[in-house]
Amino acid sequence: MNGDDAKLGRSSAGFAMAAAITVLFSTALAWAKDTYKPLNDFMNALAWHNWITHGLADVILFAGLGLIFSRTDWADRIAPNRLITFLVVAAVMAGAGLFVWYAVF
Amino acid sequence: MKITGSDVILLAHSTFGVLGILSALWVFVETLNAREENAGRIRRAALLAALCMSATWIVGGYWYVHFYPLDRALILKGPWSWAHTLFMETKEHLFFITLILSFYLPIAARDKLYANAVARKMVLCVAMLIVLSGLAIEGSGAIINHGAKVALLHADAEAAR
Repeated sequence: MNGDDAKLGRSSAGFAMAAAITVLFSTALAWAKDTYKPLNDFMNALAWHNWITHGLADVILFAGLGLIFSRTDWADRIAPNRLITFLVVAAVMAGAGLFVWYAVF
Repeated sequence: MKITGSDVILLAHSTFGVLGILSALWVFVETLNAREENAGRIRRAALLAALCMSATWIVGGYWYVHFYPLDRALILKGPWSWAHTLFMETKEHLFFITLILSFYLPIAARDKLYANAVARKMVLCVAMLIVLSGLAIEGSGAIINHGAKVALLHADAEAAR
């Protein structure tokens, strides 16, 4: 094995940041459409079903942010271990946030 | 034996989900032993995980929109109504987290994992998150399925009285 580079590639760092933001956005959107019916109705009207609109919004946000972050050095400047921690914590918090939300409300 | 289109779609969606989980687990194990020789295999397995999760999204989404409303009505009338209100609601949104991580996995696997410790760590973490969230989703699917079964048994017992 060669020596460690200790840095993520620009695309890897950019899309990692995009993934972390997207999973948090996804859970926030699930809470919002559950609380605010007009938003749910709007999402139903936009792409046949709110769940389809939700998924498409997540994918578009992930791709858009990932491309932006990959073209700038914004995510690249964050320490790789910090970025990994941010992504893992974001995914765990977003998942737990969904379970707790539907268990309580 | 009568197998409906709904049955085929439902089983295909969970099968693609399992294949996606297994692909992510494959990436995890290969990354633990990352060498220049298996770099291509890791990238192909990561791409396979993304493709399987995309397939389960499309197939599962079709079933959810077209066929699930009947099951939902049944489950909500039964004694396990929380199979929908808690587990289905969580599952259908938790899946988006797994999906986004699956789309990210092939991007993270493009780095030279055999020469880069943090890139390896990133791929290991993302692959494990996909496996764990995927297993939680599969388990939720089993609970939802049982919720429908319990509702039917309950309705039969009520009718027999």
